[in-house]
Amino acid sequence: MTDATSGGLSAAAQPKSSLLQPSRLMKKRNAAETRFKAYGIAAIVLSLATLGFMLVTIFSDGVSSFFQAKLSFPVELTARTLDPKGNRDRADMVKITTLGYNKVLAVAFEKELAARGIAIEGQSAKDVVEMISKDAAGSLRATVLANPSLVGSTLDATVLATGRIDGYLKGRVTMQTAERDSNVTPAQLQLADKLREAGMLTSSFNWGFLTMPDASDQRPEAAGLGVAILGSAYMMLLVLVTCVPVGVAASIYLEEFAPKNFWTDAIEVNISNLAAVPSIVFGILGLAIFINFAGMPNSSTLVGALVLSLMTLPTIIIATRSAIKAVPPSIRDAALGIGASKMQSVFHHVLPLAMPGILTGTILGLASALGETAPLLLIGMVAFVDNYPAAPMEGFLDPATALPVQVYGWAQRADPAFIERSSGAIIVLLVFLVAMNVLAILLRRRFERRW
Amino acid sequence: MNDMRTLERIVNSEAIKISARNVQVHYGTTQAIKDLNVDILDKTVTAFIGPSGCGKSTFLRCLNRMNDTIESCRVTGQIMMDGANIYDPRIDPVQLRARVGMVFQKPNPFPKSIYDNVAYGPKIHGLTRNKAELDEIVETSIRKAALWNEVKDRLQSPGTGLSGGQQQRLCIARAIATGPEVLLMDEPCSALDPIATAQVEELIDELRAQFSVVIVTHSMQQAARVSQRTAFFHLGSLVETGETGQIFTSPKDPRTEAYITGRIG
Repeated sequence: MTDATSGGLSAAAQPKSSLLQPSRLMKKRNAAETRFKAYGIAAIVLSLATLGFMLVTIFSDGVSSFFQAKLSFPVELTARTLDPKGNRDRADMVKITTLGYNKVLAVAFEKELAARGIAIEGQSAKDVVEMISKDAAGSLRATVLANPSLVGSTLDATVLATGRIDGYLKGRVTMQTAERDSNVTPAQLQLADKLREAGMLTSSFNWGFLTMPDASDQRPEAAGLGVAILGSAYMMLLVLVTCVPVGVAASIYLEEFAPKNFWTDAIEVNISNLAAVPSIVFGILGLAIFINFAGMPNSSTLVGALVLSLMTLPTIIIATRSAIKAVPPSIRDAALGIGASKMQSVFHHVLPLAMPGILTGTILGLASALGETAPLLLIGMVAFVDNYPAAPMEGFLDPATALPVQVYGWAQRADPAFIERSSGAIIVLLVFLVAMNVLAILLRRRFERRW
Repeated sequence: MNDMRTLERIVNSEAIKISARNVQVHYGTTQAIKDLNVDILDKTVTAFIGPSGCGKSTFLRCLNRMNDTIESCRVTGQIMMDGANIYDPRIDPVQLRARVGMVFQKPNPFPKSIYDNVAYGPKIHGLTRNKAELDEIVETSIRKAALWNEVKDRLQSPGTGLSGGQQQRLCIARAIATGPEVLLMDEPCSALDPIATAQVEELIDELRAQFSVVIVTHSMQQAARVSQRTAFFHLGSLVETGETGQIFTSPKDPRTEAYITGRIG
């Protein structure tokens, strides 16, 4: 034994090469590692650059939609036009359409221009009045009808300018494009400059973009996300209510109680596959089942939410199951060992520990549902919806639209003002998504416990 | 074997608490335990020794039906406790486990406060009517587990924040809080240092006054130190069982002798 050891030692004592000199194989291994790190860094840089480019594009296109050119001038609400019977009765005043209010606005606008001595050079009165949005008459009518006693007084009105004038203030419309544009003339733009100097035309934060409903092609300046935000909020609420109990209960059953056999294996595979089914397929399913078979109303948030729930359920189930799986079995043993029933061990010990994972999975599932467009197109939520849905519960049956669908709808419109609003809507959607992700992180921190 | 004082130990109870007859355990198609017959006495520490994979932990887990949680596990034969077969279909394993407590190899306190860890068992079994009674059970259990002086000022701090040995004693306190009749311990000291081991061993000796304790251990010294009776398992069958002193000094079976002298295992 001693002989063998000493022989081995003397052989090992002879250094084969210097440690200071890396061997050929070592050099190769190091080079491979350096290359791999470089690939990794390149991939990260590339994805960050793409993300940065995307955000820059969206924000540079979309931020302007949060500002809106508005014209302010005093409007004399002439009783002769608006309330011919003179009794200030709402029932009678309703008969006056926006045409009457258009007249009042036109008269007031021209009068104010004349009063301020702003010359209308070579423009017809019609051209001048067309700088006021077609939405203005409608909103003025709504104001007056809400408060009939205003008739006869002079109102300091602030009304929307048309999309083209708005675009001029934002630099989207120039003199050159105006020459080729049938909707705006260079003279109108020159007048807009004068109005700005006079302080009648100002650009301010566009609350209407967040609160107003969608608007027709002729008045992009009036289009807002109100119905879409409300619709998305209703759907998220319904998805949460339908998905979380079903998804969590299904996961707990499958993970903790179900016997492991062919059927549960088949269910597991199918749930994973469902998560990978293209979302539009769920739209067709929803159309067939909820609308055609069950007869629920088209475009309603209820149907939209049910379709999104079907889509989100697999995600929630997969996330919940992995969260439950991650709870160490020793905790279950500990609970069972002192005589807790299976159900007690799950609800008292496993579920609280799995909670951060479940919450994160649920919120991320909801976030993906919030951004989903395709299935909603098929159940009719892409329709032009001008009315806010009513308050819950009956409001769930009212037609509405959703944020991503509104983005899609506006991106299809011809007027560049809608394209700007489309980007603006994406910003709103991104804000919601970021908020939900932040919520997920906060909840995770809040509930996380070590074991 | 430096601890031959085991010879002087007397088994002070002859009442049989658990008796196993013809127990067979299968995991799927492999047989883990074959034809096992053993009696476990009341108010006695019984040690199960044997090489890894010999079935001693499996048998221990049969005694409170923890093996029910393993899908492929199948137990046949009879395990009688106080005259009732615990594998009788009328027996609810949940109720059984309240009477047969278990301490695991790795300390596994719940990620809750020390108080809640111990109070959980009495709470779910409805052993107390009010907070004062619960406080009392918690205190006596922690005292019995020789942990009271170390934790009495921080009962509301998390149980997972204790040291390994304290955690294991907390688990013992949790197990005895439900008032079990038998306490099963599956290598309770394998994750502990020698000092914590000594504390737990001392504790086991004290617990013997109230319960029948069954301990699985890899350390023959430990078996010699804490137990009155020892059962030697080998390849899924019980080779020899008897008083600890007799097993360690004059084993009847050559395999037992080979194992305790370090030739197999």
